[in-house]
Amino acid sequence: MNPEDLKYHKEHTWAKVSGKKATIGITDYAQSALGDIVYIDLPELDSTVEVNSEIGEIESTKATSSIISPLSGKVIEVNEELTESPEIINEDPYGKGWIAILEIGDAFEMDDLMDASEYEKYVEEEKK
Amino acid sequence: MRLAILGAGPGGYVAAIKAAQLGAQVSVIEDTEVGGTCLNRGCIPTKTLLATTELLHKAKNIEEYGLEISGQIIPNLSKIMERKNKVVSIQVKGIRSLFKSWGINLIEGKGMILGPEKIEVKKKDGSTEIVGADKIIIATGSRPAQLPLFPFDGEHILSSDEALSIKSIPKSLIIIGAGVIGCEFAFIFSELGTDITILEIMPRAISLEDPEISEILERELKKKKIKLMTGIKITEVKGQHDGIHVYLEGGKEFVAEKLLVSVGRALNSDAIGLEAVGVQKGTKGEIVVNEKMETNIGSIYAIGDVTGRLLYAHVASTQGKIAAKNVMGGNEKMDYGVVPYAIFTSPEIAAVGLKENQAIEKGIKVKTGHFQFRAIGKAHVMGEITGFVKFVSDETSDRILGVHIIGPHASDLIHEAAVAIKSGLKTKDIADTIHSHPTLSEAMMEAAEDVHGEAIHVPKK
Repeated sequence: MNPEDLKYHKEHTWAKVSGKKATIGITDYAQSALGDIVYIDLPELDSTVEVNSEIGEIESTKATSSIISPLSGKVIEVNEELTESPEIINEDPYGKGWIAILEIGDAFEMDDLMDASEYEKYVEEEKK
Repeated sequence: MRLAILGAGPGGYVAAIKAAQLGAQVSVIEDTEVGGTCLNRGCIPTKTLLATTELLHKAKNIEEYGLEISGQIIPNLSKIMERKNKVVSIQVKGIRSLFKSWGINLIEGKGMILGPEKIEVKKKDGSTEIVGADKIIIATGSRPAQLPLFPFDGEHILSSDEALSIKSIPKSLIIIGAGVIGCEFAFIFSELGTDITILEIMPRAISLEDPEISEILERELKKKKIKLMTGIKITEVKGQHDGIHVYLEGGKEFVAEKLLVSVGRALNSDAIGLEAVGVQKGTKGEIVVNEKMETNIGSIYAIGDVTGRLLYAHVASTQGKIAAKNVMGGNEKMDYGVVPYAIFTSPEIAAVGLKENQAIEKGIKVKTGHFQFRAIGKAHVMGEITGFVKFVSDETSDRILGVHIIGPHASDLIHEAAVAIKSGLKTKDIADTIHSHPTLSEAMMEAAEDVHGEAIHVPKK
């Protein structure tokens, strides 16, 4: 269920790399754990973000949760559509619910991320 | 005992009634209207406007509640102001009739202390009256602080006083200062459709509050599309044909139809004759008083904002009661240790006691507990789920040191904490008290439980 072409971070975010750019978002597990998302505080355009650091926040009807960046880089695009309709993340976390596009700072950080099967195992462990 | 009180705000009028109850013959001198800033230009008018804009907010989202509305909801500013004025005038009449019932002599005019037992009043009709008194209480309050860079003109550059009587809803508004007053006005005008930019010199909004609370408030500002710029420095303000231009250090420029300056309060301790009688003032112009509200002059007391302590109506009233009792021979002392207060943003903010960083600075080993309103049913019922309750306690004794709330009805919920702290209670006392369901007060119980990791509606950490 988690797409094979994505890389996953232990804080339940994903990255899809193409060339020097990476699209990032939160995982299906994260959106289902959060429940109905009512607000997203998007990362700031043109800001520089660090791997493992908070780049925004998501509020659901149940909880508020930090968005942790899976990679370092510069934010070159944010999904403005989420501001008006944050529920898109619930509906399509790996597609229309993308959060931002980064210009990657350090390609080696990719090696620290999990692939789909590793992430699935990781989630199973977390659930226990 | 003949008592003369200079100023009929929440300090002066309360002192007047208390002293009259204790048998004093009381004269109150007031040059504007009874009720002071609080009633005429502060707490009450702003909260009345807020009642309107909160209703407007609900109306805009009426479909969420399963209701449909045909037609538009249009704010009519003159009617909104009419309602505000009516609410104020009901309260004004209330104070006036209380005065009458206690035989308090209200003298309308500007008072000047001529001697330790003598006040001259210049009345509105041009006549002068000399009021003799055995004791005097000064309760002259405060006014919006003005900075040389942006002098109020009542038209484009507004003080909070002037913002309360504007004639049309501005299309755009720059607010200088993201303190209590600036933020309260931001939410009010934003709901009415004004495009708002807040400029703040400090690194965060409501910088005196707990940083976690500032964070939530800043997010709520963002949700309302209110722009907030912090850590800025203003270099120039210029009125031009297209509006007021504000220039920041670093070259940024903002323009808006109007500018609201809310950068604090200036104390009304000038031109009331303090120098003539030698009443001691501090560096901010505050009248120096001891805990009995006595100044350095035996017959003269001072209370309220002009004493420069905590500029809250309820502190002024408490000081007023203490001063009145002491005037009548009592030996009462003011305690500032437990002063609850509220900020009427959306959502509300309220606090009492120590903040986490204050407690740490005092060398106390601190434990905190948090609970989010979105985890309780009643918040969802009301459709107001943002915010949390935070308990700050002493790790060793479990005593509650402070409670900080941002969320629905924070201003009402805080008083449970005020009683608890005043009584020296422990977090366990709140946690073990049954709180009725479904109410927002469950958040108080759960936050207290969370201090020991025992809250029920919090997922396993």
